[in-house]
Amino acid sequence: MEKTVKTIWIILVILTIFAYLLGYLKLINSSLVAILLITTFIKGELVIDHFMGLKAVKLKYRLIPIIWLGTVISLIAVAYYLPL
Amino acid sequence: MFNESQLLLSQTSGFVNTLILITSSYFVVKAVHAISEMTYKSIKESNHKASKWLLYAIICGIAFLVIKFSEFYYIFGEGITLSTNKFFMFYLMLTMFHFMHVVLGSVILFNIYKKTKIAGYTPDDYRGFETGASYWHMVDLLWIVLFPLVYIIR
Repeated sequence: MEKTVKTIWIILVILTIFAYLLGYLKLINSSLVAILLITTFIKGELVIDHFMGLKAVKLKYRLIPIIWLGTVISLIAVAYYLPL
Repeated sequence: MFNESQLLLSQTSGFVNTLILITSSYFVVKAVHAISEMTYKSIKESNHKASKWLLYAIICGIAFLVIKFSEFYYIFGEGITLSTNKFFMFYLMLTMFHFMHVVLGSVILFNIYKKTKIAGYTPDDYRGFETGASYWHMVDLLWIVLFPLVYIIR
């Protein structure tokens, strides 16, 4: 358990560094925005499952924050891609 | 307009704040583990262990607030307000609401910390601890979404 949480934390840090480098090196474009949003969803999902500890609970409870996260990220994607 | 306004923000401070919140969430998970593995024989020891992790999490929360406050100080110093343009209206509204949630989360963590210092949690009663921890993770989750939205995507 301890090892898993530490691994999750390291993955979150790596994905955050990836997002920062995309912005810092001005690499961001429409296809990389999709990847950035997917990695953001993965980060959120990791927090929900392993930090909030919802991985072991009934699916109906686990789905509440997952649907929220998916909806918010989908709306960001629509707002970004619709005017293009 | 969106891109030009975004250039006034420091991506580095947004990045550092993300790392700080993720790390503080990690510390809170460690605190919850310390409490949930508690037995009647280890009440004092488990509370002590949890209080140590909570203190680290609170320090991270305060560091986040200091960095965010300095960012707001810079933005307002530049004469930027809610009515400057749509980007800053959204930026200030979203990040200020989040800021207030971090303030509340830090107060909640501090209260839990105080209770662990008097070994107030027992194997039968630590629901309040878990609830406070969940709130802190939700604050972290919100920032995980806000970071790319406000600082990176253009």
